[in-house]
Amino acid sequence: MFILDLILSLWRSLAGLVWFSNQNFPKSLSVYIRSNDGKKLSVDLDPKWDIKSVKEIVGPKLGLEAEEIKIILAGKELDDSTIIEEIDLGEQSTVYCVPLDHKGKTKQKSVNKILVNLPEEEVITFHVACSHCHGIKHGKLRVRCAECKSGAITVDRDPASWSDVLNPSLISGHCEEQGCAAGPVAWCEFYFRCKEHVSADDIAIPLPLIHANLRSIPCLACNDVRDPVVVFECSDRHTICLECFGRYASIRLRERSFVFSRQYGYTLACPAGCEGSFITEPHHFRILLQTEYELYQRFAAEECVLQGGGVLCPRPGCGAGIFPDDDCNRVACQCGYVFCKRCLEGFHIGECGERDSAAEGGTSGGYSVDPARAAQARWDEASKRTIKVSTKPCPKCRIPTERDGGCMHMLCARCTFEWCWVCQTEWTRDCMGSHWFG
Amino acid sequence: MANIAAQRIKREFKEVIKSEEVAKCAIRLELIGDSFTELRGEIGGPPDTPYEGGLFVLEIKIPETYPFNPPKVRFVTKIWHPNISSVTGAICLDILKDQWAAAMTLRTVLLSLQALMASPEPDDPQDAVVAKQFKENEEMFRLTARYWTSEYAGGPNENQDFQRKVQRLIDMGIESDRACVALSAYNWDLERATEQLFS
Ligand SMILES: [Zn+2]
Ligand SMILES: [Zn+2]
Ligand SMILES: [Zn+2]
Ligand SMILES: [Zn+2]
Repeated sequence: MFILDLILSLWRSLAGLVWFSNQNFPKSLSVYIRSNDGKKLSVDLDPKWDIKSVKEIVGPKLGLEAEEIKIILAGKELDDSTIIEEIDLGEQSTVYCVPLDHKGKTKQKSVNKILVNLPEEEVITFHVACSHCHGIKHGKLRVRCAECKSGAITVDRDPASWSDVLNPSLISGHCEEQGCAAGPVAWCEFYFRCKEHVSADDIAIPLPLIHANLRSIPCLACNDVRDPVVVFECSDRHTICLECFGRYASIRLRERSFVFSRQYGYTLACPAGCEGSFITEPHHFRILLQTEYELYQRFAAEECVLQGGGVLCPRPGCGAGIFPDDDCNRVACQCGYVFCKRCLEGFHIGECGERDSAAEGGTSGGYSVDPARAAQARWDEASKRTIKVSTKPCPKCRIPTERDGGCMHMLCARCTFEWCWVCQTEWTRDCMGSHWFG
Repeated sequence: MANIAAQRIKREFKEVIKSEEVAKCAIRLELIGDSFTELRGEIGGPPDTPYEGGLFVLEIKIPETYPFNPPKVRFVTKIWHPNISSVTGAICLDILKDQWAAAMTLRTVLLSLQALMASPEPDDPQDAVVAKQFKENEEMFRLTARYWTSEYAGGPNENQDFQRKVQRLIDMGIESDRACVALSAYNWDLERATEQLFS
């Protein structure tokens, strides 16, 4: 026994040397150990160790024997024979160390046994939207007590589907945290962390449509068998590779042809055009580049305002969303611009579109005016007219667009709609024929 | 062009080449250049239609956003059909517009066009003149469409009468395509066609 231990420790230190020379592998893994009475300590573990060795190191630090403790990670007690590098324990993860209760509980199937039973890909391919990394990343599933948020909880049953994980109060667990208001029996709360960066508290958003392509389904768009894939929730479960999904989202964003659904927000359906196939978790659009995603968020907010009966401030560079009063056409934006709710031109009294004729009609009415004020008023009118003729709202997305040069063929920089400056409708051959420029 | 579009077209091209419709000479597809952005399609006129015996050439342009947006397809061969412009060859077919889905292919498009040739939809017309004739005088429509097939798509011609009328207008110095369009639009009434051409 002594000789065996000696050989083992010799092997470990040798292995350590090997790792040291190989820069690709960390020599040790720094993790936090939390006990159920709130003690927290940081330890460096060798990824080649088994859990039994961990207990031998950690136990004494908590004033306990190695045989008296159990170690919990992600809702499961870890088996003594489990090797650390075989489980998804990242740098600065937290594992929980709690004393065994001596009532002789039935031994749980350990987390790594469960993982071993699954195909390899299934284990590693949870995908998440990470706000820290800006994009779609690999995630890891974690579980904590819904009551006290402690990770010192073991699950009563394994989650078998996304609904088990996404819906609260479906799976119960045994919370080991001392002083938990719900414990020892409490609801388990599942959550995800991004695998790409070390963080104690960033929670990543799971993306349930992204799957490992275990069935080797070819992509709907490019026909390649790729991994991972996005599987839509239509009856055919249409499948598209991640790259094509990104292109699809980017193309529809440029066309501004996402769909606004009251239930799910600004989203897309299956590219095969299936009924009831809306993406219900908009974070899947994190597939877009960061600049595109920001545009997506802006369009979504604007669409939400427009659908809710609001208007967008037409002043170039502003575009703030405003919900005007029902009975008043005068809208004052916080940027200072005051405009008409109906025609989005500068605010006016009377019918929309009449202002031109009124202003150009010149002197009307027989009342006397202060000459100085009249001159000023003309100046104002003149400058307003310049603004009016040099910008008009895009007929599709209403963004004010400036015209430079004499061509009437307008291309909206925001929604790419091609429209006619004169007709303020879609650009047609008729427009080309009758007023292409002027 | 983005990779995905080109890659998809490559595969679809192979799919059409191997398909049984090609074996039966009903459809054909040819690449123009090697960029996979432009193709030439050919459809045989479906049997028991005025287009039987003709061969119709299509211009197919692949947008960069393919397959999320439809290919742009146009008849190069002149055709007399309510859903196809007799002037530009532009096609009114839902799957080439808003009913397009990324799961469709060039083969689907060619077969749908062949089906459209066999059963026109005059209530959703591209060419109002043709649609009007189709609705008001279907026999006249059939004769006209058959004449166009012989004139432009290499179909057999039995209609000496129409040919004579076209020749009369050519003799008056009218270019042959214009003569054909005018006569077709006026149900082959030579007098009215002449009137319109010289007014
Ligand atoms: Zn608890
Ligand atoms: Zn793909
Ligand atoms: Zn679908
Ligand atoms: Zn504003």
